[in-house]
Amino acid sequence: METLLIQFLNGLVSSMLLFIMAAGLSLIFGQMNVINLAHGSFYMLGGYIGLSIVHQFENFWLALLLAPIIVSALGIIIEYVFLRRLYGENRHLEQVLFTFGLAVIASDQLRRIWGSYVEAVSAPLELQGQILVLGISFPVYRLALIVFGAMIALLLWVLIERTRVGAIIRAGVYDADMLGGLGINIDLIFAAVFALGTGLAGLAGVIGAPVLNLYPGLDFEIMILTLAVVVVGGLGTLRGVLLGSLLIGMADTFGKALLPEFSLFLIFAVMALILLVRPVGLFSLNRR
Amino acid sequence: MLELEVVVFGAVVIGCATAFQLARKGHRLVLVDTNYQAGFGSMSNVYAIVATHCASWTIIQMVTRLFSAITRREFLKATGVAATAYAAGPLISACSGRAVGPVKIGVLLPYSDIYAVLGESITEGMKMYFDEVGNEAGGRQIEMLTEDSEIKMDVAQQKARKLVEQYEADLVTGIVSTGVLYGLRDYFDTNKKMLICANAGGNKISRDLKTPYIWRVSFSNWQPNWPLGTWAYENVAKSVFMSAPDYGAGHNMVDAFANSFQAAGGEILGTQFTPFPSMGDPAPFITEIRGSDPPMVFCFYSGGAAVTFVQSYGEFGLSGHIPLVCAGFTVEEDVLPAEGEAALGALSGLHWALMLDNPANRKFTAAYKARTGKDANVFAVQGYDTGRVIVEMLNTVQGDTSNVNSMIDSMAGISFDSPRGPFSLDRNSQNPTQHIYVREVQEVDGSLHNVVIEDLGEITDPGDDSLG
Repeated sequence: METLLIQFLNGLVSSMLLFIMAAGLSLIFGQMNVINLAHGSFYMLGGYIGLSIVHQFENFWLALLLAPIIVSALGIIIEYVFLRRLYGENRHLEQVLFTFGLAVIASDQLRRIWGSYVEAVSAPLELQGQILVLGISFPVYRLALIVFGAMIALLLWVLIERTRVGAIIRAGVYDADMLGGLGINIDLIFAAVFALGTGLAGLAGVIGAPVLNLYPGLDFEIMILTLAVVVVGGLGTLRGVLLGSLLIGMADTFGKALLPEFSLFLIFAVMALILLVRPVGLFSLNRR
Repeated sequence: MLELEVVVFGAVVIGCATAFQLARKGHRLVLVDTNYQAGFGSMSNVYAIVATHCASWTIIQMVTRLFSAITRREFLKATGVAATAYAAGPLISACSGRAVGPVKIGVLLPYSDIYAVLGESITEGMKMYFDEVGNEAGGRQIEMLTEDSEIKMDVAQQKARKLVEQYEADLVTGIVSTGVLYGLRDYFDTNKKMLICANAGGNKISRDLKTPYIWRVSFSNWQPNWPLGTWAYENVAKSVFMSAPDYGAGHNMVDAFANSFQAAGGEILGTQFTPFPSMGDPAPFITEIRGSDPPMVFCFYSGGAAVTFVQSYGEFGLSGHIPLVCAGFTVEEDVLPAEGEAALGALSGLHWALMLDNPANRKFTAAYKARTGKDANVFAVQGYDTGRVIVEMLNTVQGDTSNVNSMIDSMAGISFDSPRGPFSLDRNSQNPTQHIYVREVQEVDGSLHNVVIEDLGEITDPGDDSLG
């Protein structure tokens, strides 16, 4: 029973990390109709920049603040210089080729800059050690991660559902051209959404580092899980992403706990099952 | 003098067929190929002398040279085609004269993904030994040709072919993961090419899958763990929970430990095989271990997975409470700094330790640190020893790599004082006979290192599965 509870908390940790990742991916897709296969690279970049900041200033909180901003800035540059040329109907193949190429290049460059040793980032001092949850000890940092993830989810929900910017973003999802016709600067909105999406990936990289560490290849691992989340949840809606990350996070955790040899299989089994029942994912938006 | 009507480039399917048909019609021709006999290389590189397009860069170069030569005869001389090639038979394959150039050593290692550090350390160690002997062995220069095998079988197979067939490597070395080693086994066995394994410890290559052409300078997975099982029973605890990645090496290591541990009277409380190559967040595994409350944990992890596992072991408060006994790679010098205090007190069995006190090791560790700025690790030692084994073998055969059998014969006699202690190659298992040490992670001068606490003596792989 105690073990089961801890596994449930482990599942939540996984889910929250995946949620922050997948929210960014889904946001970019919903708004710009671009599947960003380099999303995992932005995660890694965030993690590594965070690592460097922690090494330099010995301050995790500073890393948490700065790394996502730096990743966002890079995202804006990439959107402006490259991705902007690839918008349009029926250009998914070009977008996928570009973003995947970017991921491959990034993976090499990250290794060149930060090396191929596995890098561990310690949790901030304030969040080290364990805390008793219903009488069972659980790492403080992981608990904080769950709370933090829930906060991000809430903030995103408020941003998208309850603000003017959110209304513009939602409108853009349905018909970007019409939105442009209403006098909204679509280029600016696209850049902002891409910055937000990549920034979320960078954020996930920083907070995920103490849990998953940083090593070459993690970018693609995390990308696969993130894709699984959006396949299950459906692209383009926050609700779908949240539910998808909970499902995949729990499937991953309980798969590992109960059937360690088949845990990866279990994730894809969940994915296949949902695709059978609902091919567009649980909550896909109805794009016109 | 030779008078030719046609030169066909590329002695594979199309080239051979073209040459064969032309020869049957009575044309005098020569078939040229950059490989040493017909049937190697790609299938698209054929180029008849009158053709108007070419298939590959090599062929373009050859053709350019052909047309810039003043006479056809000079071209033939330039490309070294044997002058006896005449269209008497249906098929003639002519090879370029092979002068005694450098010994080409194909190095097949992962330089990307989770085992990149292993690949880099092995390469660095090997280079270091080759530099020590002036990059020369048996009177020939040594040339290293490195290829990234990743940890994928198909990639490794393709790169092995490239090394052997395209670059004409005299022998191949490297190989980090057991899956890749097994996947390459048949290729080297059928082609009678020598493969000297610098890491992958899969037991089978010393047992059921043994072939004269594959020798190992590193270890068998059984080797460090079997003596450790007995030792752990006598010195740590009488029951154990075991955890390892779900692939060949993980199973080998767990089986070897379990064999001697159970033989001594120990009890196995549970065994967990985790996804390979990466287990992602290890928390669910650590939680299961904690749930079964064992008095001791045995594990094997390597590279990134080792850091992830050991860190989580600390994060969930197991370090210092449940003794961690492991295959040495789990807490080896390449991962120890990242593992940090969570690794403190971990007990491991391995054939080397940074702090192992012998003259060869003192010299090696100092030189490696001076060269790379990093502490040596067991993979660097294996690379260094592999370099030495290759050089000694080449010295014995006096640089003659044309006879693979004499190369094989000279392997079994090799023995020297390695940084790991006395080292010799066992003829039966084609694997080293070497000492296994129990090491404990301790804080030495402000940083964590493995300190040898016991020498378990000389261990040789049994060459069969009788002991796990």
